[in-house]
Amino acid sequence: MANSTASVEVFENLRLELRRGCLTLAVLTQLRTERYGYTLRKALADEGLEIDEGTLYPLLRRLESQGLLVSQWREEEKRNKRFYKLSPAGKETLKQLLAEWERINTSLTRILQEV
Amino acid sequence: MSTPKNPSEIIDRYLQAVRFWLPKTQRQEDVLAELGDDLRSQMEEKETELARPLTKEEVSEILKRCGMPMIVAGRLAPKRYLIGPSLFPIYAFVLKMVLLWIIVPVFIFIIGPATLATHSRDVGTAIAMTLGNLWSALFIAAGTITLVFAVLERSAAMTKAECKWDPYKLPPVRKNERKISAVQTVCELTFNFFALIWLLLLPQNPYLIFGPAAGYLKPGPIWHTFYIPIVAVAAYAILRCMIALAQPQWTWFPALGSLLQNAFTLIILKFMLAAVSHSSGTAWHPFVVIDQAATSAQSLKVSAIVNASILLGMAGTWIGLCIAVPIQTWQFMRRLRNGAPGKEQPAALHVL
Repeated sequence: MANSTASVEVFENLRLELRRGCLTLAVLTQLRTERYGYTLRKALADEGLEIDEGTLYPLLRRLESQGLLVSQWREEEKRNKRFYKLSPAGKETLKQLLAEWERINTSLTRILQEV
Repeated sequence: MSTPKNPSEIIDRYLQAVRFWLPKTQRQEDVLAELGDDLRSQMEEKETELARPLTKEEVSEILKRCGMPMIVAGRLAPKRYLIGPSLFPIYAFVLKMVLLWIIVPVFIFIIGPATLATHSRDVGTAIAMTLGNLWSALFIAAGTITLVFAVLERSAAMTKAECKWDPYKLPPVRKNERKISAVQTVCELTFNFFALIWLLLLPQNPYLIFGPAAGYLKPGPIWHTFYIPIVAVAAYAILRCMIALAQPQWTWFPALGSLLQNAFTLIILKFMLAAVSHSSGTAWHPFVVIDQAATSAQSLKVSAIVNASILLGMAGTWIGLCIAVPIQTWQFMRRLRNGAPGKEQPAALHVL
């Protein structure tokens, strides 16, 4: 029983680690088009990547403080919304990250085929 | 407490609860506005889907899925540490040393016996008082240390120290040698620093060692003679740690530095014990004397117990050092022989 709880916890930690980097990549990719928080969450969920408010907004703020995103408060549908999009530095970083992702993905596919 | 009248009020109440737990920074309103917009967008989408306004229960369901206000605020707030992972090992070490190796022994050997002697007719009260005072002292000490480290955490001191290290100054790798890590040395340095401050504060603040008995107990004449050498050893301990940190390539230094410190301490203890043996007589109060105004039989008894406790502690330390110093000398000599140039061991290659 204890072993099973521990293994679930280990899996959960590893899953979160694996997800963290992927989410950053997914968010940056989605923000090639300007979006506000909720539509971004929805777009990710539609593609099968659910992300809660408590994870997305701190991530957006971190990426903005790193200079990868720019944001702007604007009124839309009678409500103020904060729109995010990639900054020029963000576009450059995303290009590099996608190239890295391709390399990792290719290697991993090869490794998995060997197994 | 009134129940919310409409779904919008539930959202406002929720945001107010989140605001309570968020740090009051410039971004607080920003974070709340963004969260509020997200929740209202979820509501609108659900309303479009159902083609009717949401009930209070349905809004409540959305908020429950979002999470408890305190937890949501914790996720949305910037991550902050009271004491971060880089300082925590030193903090834990200092806390352990001060609480277990200073305060508890002071209560066991000095304050406890003093209180017991003062209230000899009511042992239960004396024990309860000692435990109560010990509890308060532990709390105050733990609080003060935590505060000091929290301030350190917010200063740039550790960041600067992290940037200053030079890989070329790292000591060569030796086989089968017990290495003293930089973290351990920093811990020692911090502890020695607090110990020196404590020592320097003692003459003007005798309650730091006597506790409530400071009202009628005074340091004995022996301390006037040996106070400066004891402070010198404490200052030397700080210097030793600083040299060990500044010159990590001097791999021989920690062992020699520690040996010298123990040897100095042994010499001081030897002279102190000799001075104590000469002062034996009818009024034997070498370490602690009673204030002129409190020469009752009970005060004399307290003083005798405290003096005996200190003597026992000192004799125990002296015996321990008599064993440790020759062993350390032998280890240092062996190390010198093994560490001669040309006998350096190559770095071990670990192969799984």
